[in-house]
Amino acid sequence: MLYDLRHSDLRVRWLVTLLLATLGTSYLFGAWMVALYAGFSPHKVADTYGPAGEAMMAMQMPPETTVVTERPVSMAEMGEEMHHVDKDLLVQDTHVHMPMYAVIAAGLSLIVLGLPLSRSMGLAIIALLFAAPWLDFAGMWLTKLASPRFAIVTLAGGWAMALGYTIVAVIATYQMWWRKS
Amino acid sequence: MKTIMLSAIAAALLHITPTVILVKRQDAVSHLLPGADQFAAREVHVSSADSRRIHDAVGWEPPDGMITFYIGKRQDQVTGALMFMRVDCQHGPLELAVGFDSRGTVRGVEVTKATVEMKPWVLEALRAGLTDAYRGLAVDQPPAGAEKVKPKIGAMPGYMAELIDKGVMHANAAYRLFYVRR
Repeated sequence: MLYDLRHSDLRVRWLVTLLLATLGTSYLFGAWMVALYAGFSPHKVADTYGPAGEAMMAMQMPPETTVVTERPVSMAEMGEEMHHVDKDLLVQDTHVHMPMYAVIAAGLSLIVLGLPLSRSMGLAIIALLFAAPWLDFAGMWLTKLASPRFAIVTLAGGWAMALGYTIVAVIATYQMWWRKS
Repeated sequence: MKTIMLSAIAAALLHITPTVILVKRQDAVSHLLPGADQFAAREVHVSSADSRRIHDAVGWEPPDGMITFYIGKRQDQVTGALMFMRVDCQHGPLELAVGFDSRGTVRGVEVTKATVEMKPWVLEALRAGLTDAYRGLAVDQPPAGAEKVKPKIGAMPGYMAELIDKGVMHANAAYRLFYVRR
């Protein structure tokens, strides 16, 4: 343990608690946003990040000749936009989100360093905190470029993020405020 | 710790602002396909060769090789077509609805989405009459809305006008190359 959060100044423990509460709230809204725009099933994630939505699931390679299909739609269907992330948008998303994920993982890792955990446990939790965003974006890119089956990797990344946060939040809160000796 | 704080501030400052709806898609459809009571989606799955062709023409390729035209009909007669076109820039995405009349000229253009940061710039360009410049434009003519409004507006609204020109140019190329092809 590089420092001990249990016996740190009250202000430090208050800061860490508020940081965890704020991150937890943002994660809840993150989950809500995922539910709105992508979904929690591999099928829905594949629709969002796959080649071009559900219609293209069976047609991942460009056709040899341009194919035109036509189907009736209602006004409501035209108004509804299926949230589909194409390659350009995924480049932008990766650029925008990866730095913030790194900062969050680093912040949570700093909390881990102040907790009375074994060296191997500390390493494992830090690895989990950084693996989660990598899995998240690797899954999105693999779903787009290789196969919709990789949507499961993105889901694993999302759950790993939630798991990592929960482990740190529970242990830190318990150690800082209840088990001080 | 200092590095982490600076990185957090940098990441927050570089974050693209959220998207806002300027015109609901349904309203854009009503404005750009007036009188239509039936609609169809014509989905064009573009081949690699055609993707290169449109790229060579206007420097743009349909995202994931797919273009969707929404066609408006009244008593089974086509009244026009519409497509939603996204234009990306470092400030985030813009979405346009570009409508074509049954003669194949531009009926109108609506900016349906922008980001919080871009919204005031886009509105300034629109107030200067940007989209008036597209009405009646033939699909093989280059859009020149930005050129017309730039003397009346600021630098960033002028940049937005250039992006909107670009989106209209991409939509025109898509229409010219793929709409009539069956």
